[in-house]
Amino acid sequence: MTQQDNKVLACVDLSPYAQHVADYAAWAAARMAAPLEFLHVIDRHPALQGGQDHSGALQANAEQSLLKSLSEQDAARTRAEREQARIFLNALRERALAAGAAPVDTRQRHGDLDETLHEQQAGVRLFVLGRRGESAHSTQRELGRHVEQVARALNRPILTVTDGFKAPERVLIAFDGSSITRRGVEMVAGSRLFKGLPVQLLMSGKASQDGPKQMAWATQTLETAGFDVAGEIVPGDPESTIAQAIQAKGIDLLVMGAYTHSPLRSLFLGSKTDDLLRSARIPTLLLR
Amino acid sequence: MFKNFRQDWMSNVRNDVLAGLVVALALIPEAIAFSIIAGVDPKVGLYASFSIATIIAFMGGRPGMISAATGAMALVMVSLVKSHGLEYLLAATVLTGVLQVIAGWVQLGRLMRFVSRSVVTGFVNALAILIFMAQLPELNPQTIGVTWHVYAMTAAGLAIIYGLPVITKAVPSPLVTIVVLTIFSIWMGLDIRTVGDMGELPDSLPVFRIPDIPLNFETLKIIFPYALTLMVVGLLESLMTATIVDDLTDTRSDKNRECVGQGVANIATGFIGGMAGCAMIGQSVINVKSGGRGRLSTLVAGVVLLILVVFLGEWVKQIPMAALVAVMIMVSIGTFNWSSIRNLREHPRSSSAVMIATVVVTVATHDLAKGVLTGVLLSGFFFAHKVGQILRIRSLAEDEGRARTYTITGQVFFASAERFANAFDYKEVIDKVRIDVSRAHFWDITAISALDKVVLKFRREGTEVEVIGLNDASATMVDKFAVHDKDGADDMLTGH
Repeated sequence: MTQQDNKVLACVDLSPYAQHVADYAAWAAARMAAPLEFLHVIDRHPALQGGQDHSGALQANAEQSLLKSLSEQDAARTRAEREQARIFLNALRERALAAGAAPVDTRQRHGDLDETLHEQQAGVRLFVLGRRGESAHSTQRELGRHVEQVARALNRPILTVTDGFKAPERVLIAFDGSSITRRGVEMVAGSRLFKGLPVQLLMSGKASQDGPKQMAWATQTLETAGFDVAGEIVPGDPESTIAQAIQAKGIDLLVMGAYTHSPLRSLFLGSKTDDLLRSARIPTLLLR
Repeated sequence: MFKNFRQDWMSNVRNDVLAGLVVALALIPEAIAFSIIAGVDPKVGLYASFSIATIIAFMGGRPGMISAATGAMALVMVSLVKSHGLEYLLAATVLTGVLQVIAGWVQLGRLMRFVSRSVVTGFVNALAILIFMAQLPELNPQTIGVTWHVYAMTAAGLAIIYGLPVITKAVPSPLVTIVVLTIFSIWMGLDIRTVGDMGELPDSLPVFRIPDIPLNFETLKIIFPYALTLMVVGLLESLMTATIVDDLTDTRSDKNRECVGQGVANIATGFIGGMAGCAMIGQSVINVKSGGRGRLSTLVAGVVLLILVVFLGEWVKQIPMAALVAVMIMVSIGTFNWSSIRNLREHPRSSSAVMIATVVVTVATHDLAKGVLTGVLLSGFFFAHKVGQILRIRSLAEDEGRARTYTITGQVFFASAERFANAFDYKEVIDKVRIDVSRAHFWDITAISALDKVVLKFRREGTEVEVIGLNDASATMVDKFAVHDKDGADDMLTGH
């Protein structure tokens, strides 16, 4: 397993969005010179099995025959999906190899998406995840239902990507002086992922007393690491100031802390992270 | 936590609601029939089914499993109801719940691993036979109101139940049976027994009330044995059903939570005038077959059942018993494990014997707990016998006939200790005996005392004995209980 360590793990489903995930994952893996792995999780969710039989009658050996038919359905579905996914994953692998990532591995696992990722995260440096997936057409949601669940289950950085690939050229760090974003700054400074890209630091929200001090520290840290840094403190609603900054400065990659509040709070009040992910239509690196 | 909540309740809403409806409709005839078996008014079983299903939806450990008033529990109550009446049954129901909660806390569910597959098969077969037998009075020509019409209607009912699904699986065929036969008998003005003749039906929502019994030791003495049996039977069937649903849906369940949930459900049920219940194999299979997977299906089943019987009570009264009998014959046929009959010849004889013993004892005593206990004891006995066979003793003369080494391989315990002790030749004239037990295991004090006896017997012949290679686990047994390696051992054997 040591060889697998510090890999970039790209989580894909069989939707067209997987192409973009593959492109960004290949870009990140190539920049970090890390191995790349494509993971497809077959979530054989029992509730998806339709029940067409409402006869309510118990035939002789009802239990045995039901068990047999259910497991046959499962087997057939899994076999079909496995083969389809294998072909799909291989195509993604070719694509990533062509984009310069190496080595590239593919893997399929059974289970629940967030549980599987949680199990895998020990050897992972960066997760890459599409913000929308297979069910994008059938729901009104702009943000795939897995994003928050997965992000909460993991404590590694997660690159969530949108439609279309464009190699990021300008990076914006939404910096609020919290320990999570400070760690993020240190991580960006220490990583090869953004080497050579201009980095914009943006602090917004309620003006805090030690804001300038924090900002100076962050700028200093990144400069020392050889980055071209510009820091800015813009008071105001974070969501709109960040969106404006992205527009004005042609930012194409956002780095921010994510889901720091409890799930309960985000259930009732909504989550700032979700709002930002919706409004910022560029790839976003979530820090946990 | 929220993820589980969403998964358990909201992941399958449409299928859960539909399946819940199907189950509610299937539960009504069963709840009435089981009340009749127990000898109480139909409303006791109907209230129980509502309350148990509703509470288990929240408290149970196995989403998608259906719990309600059951035949297994009803059979246990018969004699209590006959001798002491309904109020004592309600008290026993509450006590059953309390015992089940305790069982859940002390994780009694783990004992389920001693209940072998053969015992489980015996349990369901006995249950099916008893449910079928309970229908016989309704088909007995000696019973007043049983005319040839009843036989014709029962036969017609069975024809609809099994015939309709061939044409359409969109509507529950037992429901169609009941509706058709009820309309037919009203229309024809048939004078046959109906559900209304069996006792009171619910005319309102259930209300909280405390069982009307003297709170003293005498009462406890009456209800405790019943509560204990009900607890065992209820948990057995519930955990068995949970395993079945686990297998069907390929998911896991929380067995201890299920025990506590069953307990809470029974406590609450006793206080609203319902009889004790547990999980139902047949209904759970129907639920899964109809697409029910989540807790919502159980909740819908319970709530819809109550709404239906309270508002349609006048119609429920008119249901002819013949229709109910047809449904219950279906339940009993569906519960019986028919392949177990074919397997009788293929399976090991001991397994078949365990299965048959469980059935015979249960059917004879009408007590599933006794049947299961018999099955469990018998399978333990057969297992001990089989493992006792795994014992080999070889011997070889050494050192030019001055010494002999016995090599023991296998398991030494109460069932094989005698064979072990008899395998040595005590009459042999020899200087030294070496007993090599490095490939044997001494399990209990019977085995240890057998080894003691062997050693001491050789010593009395003036033979030097050496025991070599006692493995660690055996060694602790020997250290604790053996006498041969302590002073004065020979005296003890001779009784001085």
